Amino acid sequence: MNEKILNKSQISKLFETLNKDYNFFAPSKEKGNIIFKKINDSKEIELDYLNSKIPPKEVVFPRIDIIFEYKINGKDIEIVNSKNLEVKNIIFGIRPCDAYSFYLFENFFQFGKFKDELYLKKRRGSLLIGIGCNNPRNTCFCTSVNGHPFKKEHLDILLVDLGEKYLVEPITEKGKDLILNLEWLSDATKNDIKKAKDLSKKAELTISTKMDFKDTFKNLDSNFNSLLWKEISESCLGCGTCAYLCPTCTCFDVIDENDHYNNRGRRIRIWDTCQFCLYTLETSGHNPRDAKIQRCRNRIMHKFCYYPKNYNLIGCVGCGRCIQFCPVNNDLRLIIEKVNKIKKEKEKEEMILSV
Amino acid sequence: MYNSYIPMLTAIKGIVSENKVNDIKTFELSFKNEIDYDNFDYVPGQFAEISVIGKGECPIGIASAPTEKGSIKFTIKKMGTVTTGFHNCEEGDIIGVRGPFGNGWPIEKMKGKNIVIIGGGFAFSTLRSLIIYMLDKENRADYKKITVIYGNRDSGEVLYKRDLENWKTRKDIDIFLTIDRKEEGWMEKVGFVAPIVKEIAPSSDNAIAVVCGPPIMIKTSIQVLEELKFKDEQILNSLEMRMKCGIGKCGRCNIGNKYICVDGPVFSLEELKKLPNEY
Repeated sequence: MNEKILNKSQISKLFETLNKDYNFFAPSKEKGNIIFKKINDSKEIELDYLNSKIPPKEVVFPRIDIIFEYKINGKDIEIVNSKNLEVKNIIFGIRPCDAYSFYLFENFFQFGKFKDELYLKKRRGSLLIGIGCNNPRNTCFCTSVNGHPFKKEHLDILLVDLGEKYLVEPITEKGKDLILNLEWLSDATKNDIKKAKDLSKKAELTISTKMDFKDTFKNLDSNFNSLLWKEISESCLGCGTCAYLCPTCTCFDVIDENDHYNNRGRRIRIWDTCQFCLYTLETSGHNPRDAKIQRCRNRIMHKFCYYPKNYNLIGCVGCGRCIQFCPVNNDLRLIIEKVNKIKKEKEKEEMILSV
Repeated sequence: MYNSYIPMLTAIKGIVSENKVNDIKTFELSFKNEIDYDNFDYVPGQFAEISVIGKGECPIGIASAPTEKGSIKFTIKKMGTVTTGFHNCEEGDIIGVRGPFGNGWPIEKMKGKNIVIIGGGFAFSTLRSLIIYMLDKENRADYKKITVIYGNRDSGEVLYKRDLENWKTRKDIDIFLTIDRKEEGWMEKVGFVAPIVKEIAPSSDNAIAVVCGPPIMIKTSIQVLEELKFKDEQILNSLEMRMKCGIGKCGRCNIGNKYICVDGPVFSLEELKKLPNEY
């Protein structure tokens, strides 16, 4: 199928058309921050944005997700299965890095004997219409982790911002079917396609952070007890911002919310993070990660050592949110650089010794 | 489609207080739907996520053995919100169960071996499951000599007294009980578990040692086992960590790249030595 053109003035039409069959999520400004929310009026859609502060993972992995609801009737308990999981979502304006995080999520939640249907069903019912990043931030490093500001894989449709209009490129069958129904889209010209290619090249060159993960895995694996972790964790406040804004963080807590007065309640799962002390605290009082150094280490280890070991993937999409929003400027780029250096310094020592 | 987070419903069939201070009870649960029991296909050493609906859910080792048909048992110490919720329950109350989870004791690999079981305190529940399983007439011939060393702080803390009396009458299992300090009327051994293991000195020849208990007991017992020439791959442990989901998704029970809930809770000492010391 050929590329199409969507004029920016047609966004409201696109919304009106798709909103009939889908929950339409798009970037929107709320309290000064860009977030992905369910749009009720096309005026709420914000198209002038770099990326959302909170990753769009919350559309399919909400901060609070109901597992099931229950009713108590004397001694009897009735479990009501969780809300309708058969959703039809469109996530409009998702960036390619965040779309890649959906792939990591999917990979993780269907790994092993037990599948997480709470996530997987919502994911399967969601169609991703991404917009390429014309202006990556200086904290972005997607090109170092299998990504690209215009990466098509993991999207159903890719849009490229050409100024007054978008170039529309269908990627998957799902995406193609959707565009077939939008017969009012005009065809793209060769010039449009060339312009999009130039923008892609330009965006790629804009990304100045080049991270080298060649030695990272090996170095992490053999330096669990390195003094480096002390250095890295010294300034950390343990606030958990890095994890809450991370598009690849999947951890959650499970609790029962009981409505005593109405004899009912619900079991929910809520976002949680290994950066919190209570995360691993056992009832006996024992806590395997009671020190900040252990918690900081776990975050880096999980993404860059355990993840590659278990799934042969790096658990990071290079969105740079953790760098951008860390209140004490604990910079992942520097952490990785330090990790990479461990070995080089060791090698240097060895070289000196061998001479 | 199957949602792994929805518990099956059971009713409490019986409650047995296990110790003098009455903070450890064994709950016998029977499934409301028979088909759930048929699906609950477990081996000794596995655990389940059990919940008092409205209080929450927690992982507990299965104390019954698959050879005890019809119901499942959990031995629970009153510790936090959920376990206190359990202790406030009466017969007939509804309990949610998800599972079975984890790998369990490697009962197939243990076949044809001499089995040495070393337990301390209330960690004995999945060891009870293992012993009942091996002593079953269908299975007893698969295992050679069975030696059990079970230590407690005092005589009031000894779990499963009825089972222990039962086992003592049998000739195909050696039971050694010990308590930390002398007590009037106590006819068994006195002293910590490790020195008792040393005294009994089970042979490491064609043997598997299963060690379960408080960290200090595990540490000292392993030292003794090493003196007795047990190799790392002959020593099995069952670990505990905080857990929520039981199916490798909530994230908190990792030791290095392994999740206790799906890769464990049973690890050989050989496997444990390869993992970071963070548990």
